[in-house]
Amino acid sequence: MTNPRPSMVAVMAAALPAAIATLAVVVFAVFELFGHTLFSQGPDRNLAEAAAMGRLSEVVRLLAAGEDPNQIVTVRPHVISSSVTRVTALEASVWHRSVAQMALFDRAGSVTSPATRQHLMCLAADLRVDEIVHYYAAGQPPDCVPEQALTMIVARSQQPTGGAR
Amino acid sequence: MTRWTWLSYAYAAAVVFAIGYCLIDVPVQVSDSYGNLVQATGGTFGSVVASQFHARAFLRPFLWAHIRVVYDLSGGHYFEWFRGWHVGQVAVLVLLFLRLLRPRRLVDAAAVPIGLAALIGMHTFAGTVREAFPINAYMTILICCFLAADLALGAPRWWRDVAAAALFVFAVLSVESGLLVAVVLVAAFAAGARGVSSRGVAAIVALVAGYFLLRFVILDVGTPALSERSSGFGFSTREPDALIAMFGGSAIPFYAYNVLSSLLTVLLSEPRGGVWVATRDLVHGELSFMPLLNLTASALAMVTLAIHLWRRRGEWWGRRFDRGDQLLIVFAAVLVANSVISYAYTKDVILSPAGAFFGCALAVAVAGLLETTQTATARRLVAAGLLLVALSTTWGMRAVSAHVGLRRSAAATRNEWAIVDEWLEREHLVPSTALAAHLKRELHDQAITKHPARPALTASWVERLSDD
Repeated sequence: MTNPRPSMVAVMAAALPAAIATLAVVVFAVFELFGHTLFSQGPDRNLAEAAAMGRLSEVVRLLAAGEDPNQIVTVRPHVISSSVTRVTALEASVWHRSVAQMALFDRAGSVTSPATRQHLMCLAADLRVDEIVHYYAAGQPPDCVPEQALTMIVARSQQPTGGAR
Repeated sequence: MTRWTWLSYAYAAAVVFAIGYCLIDVPVQVSDSYGNLVQATGGTFGSVVASQFHARAFLRPFLWAHIRVVYDLSGGHYFEWFRGWHVGQVAVLVLLFLRLLRPRRLVDAAAVPIGLAALIGMHTFAGTVREAFPINAYMTILICCFLAADLALGAPRWWRDVAAAALFVFAVLSVESGLLVAVVLVAAFAAGARGVSSRGVAAIVALVAGYFLLRFVILDVGTPALSERSSGFGFSTREPDALIAMFGGSAIPFYAYNVLSSLLTVLLSEPRGGVWVATRDLVHGELSFMPLLNLTASALAMVTLAIHLWRRRGEWWGRRFDRGDQLLIVFAAVLVANSVISYAYTKDVILSPAGAFFGCALAVAVAGLLETTQTATARRLVAAGLLLVALSTTWGMRAVSAHVGLRRSAAATRNEWAIVDEWLEREHLVPSTALAAHLKRELHDQAITKHPARPALTASWVERLSDD
């Protein structure tokens, strides 16, 4: 068999783009192994962030680790919006618009009072998440003041945090 | 071994590291895996395997043996063992891929990145890594098919005949597409490869006949009926009732459609699972990035293959096949046979053997095209360069998409474990024994707590590169 000496430009054209793609994944993996995930906002900082992003497995893990779903915590602006940064995990979960996740919180015993239930239902109504409204209303028409729950959370997010989480 | 061989293996190691890093993060699945694990541990090794010889519709005793062996070896570390085993299988597959291509010259080594990108980035490959039962039988068959080709394309030795026969028996009793091992061996022999002798090939043909005798006459296992699965047809997936209503009188047109769909999906990445997804989206003016990328990459690959075949037409006409030609012939034979055995039900992953040999064939064609550049005119050199850079870029992006898909699968599988109890209730699979309950708890903890989810990728291009 001959030993051809092909055009180096053609060799590079064939090899480089695909090799760069592999190299990119390798670089990504190495960075992540050293604790920095490229193209991401990093790990969820608390249960509320995991709930807002719909990361069920992280919700379960953080609940098991003892995080309180009723505690008001700070979430980063990209998670929900720049005007909603102080929420409970239960409230954040409504923004993910998933009944399955609300049910998961329910089964974990996180919705501890009728008032919390009412608040979540009204927030869902404000955000027009009909599935969650129906889930909490259980066939009854929701008894809510429109926009009240949402306005309260937005106002809370604009207050100084005073060193809260 | 030349420096180009070493360079190719070093590059392959990087590819294995990249795919392995993503694959090792995927937990053992709930669906298709948990139930199988419970079943595989419900008795002695012998009784589990023996019971599979009396199963209905499927004859896969060695798959169950495989699951049981890894389960027993794991000592309770299911996540690490099953996924580690899977990564090991990918490493073996990539190693065999290089052994088949035998890169010794610069042109061969330069074709390896595109070949491996096609192997990993082909949509038929996704199911061999994103899913598990919890051993991925399709990945096992890919290895068996490559191993068969490696045996056939090597120097003649008596032990290759024995190894080929043993390999066929293992493959065909692991999953039905193991029959393709016989196709690889016969096609390679027909193309002039004599690693496995004529007697060895005759023995394989006899074993194929023996398999059909065992399956359909002695054990009466049968095949899955048309009424058991939904399947793609036209622009959508049809439920079994709809399929029976459409084809109940004669299933032949439906089977012909499946065979043709299977052929085309490997060559053109369309249709997918029998559904003309990209065409439908194009008709509706909604063609998104990934289907367009898939179609473009496949079209460029077909052009490259066509150029290579045209250039080699004289040698083919004179039946003077070199190793690259033999690989192309094996690819063609596996493509046809793989499509035919998908007659009842077409699904991307079932075509994974043809998809894997497509990667080999493309690498051969790229090396062939590179060979021509030595004497090409400036105009042809520019054309070849543009074709190669577009081919390499599109397949490189498909390979990155495969990694993104694994990342998303890992997250989706973990979320399944988060609500596992509801799923098991819905599927009427609530653990009824202490062992099954313990297994569920362990798998849940390993998926959620011991190996927590990696951060979500939020860049917009990640979404665009998702080929789900």
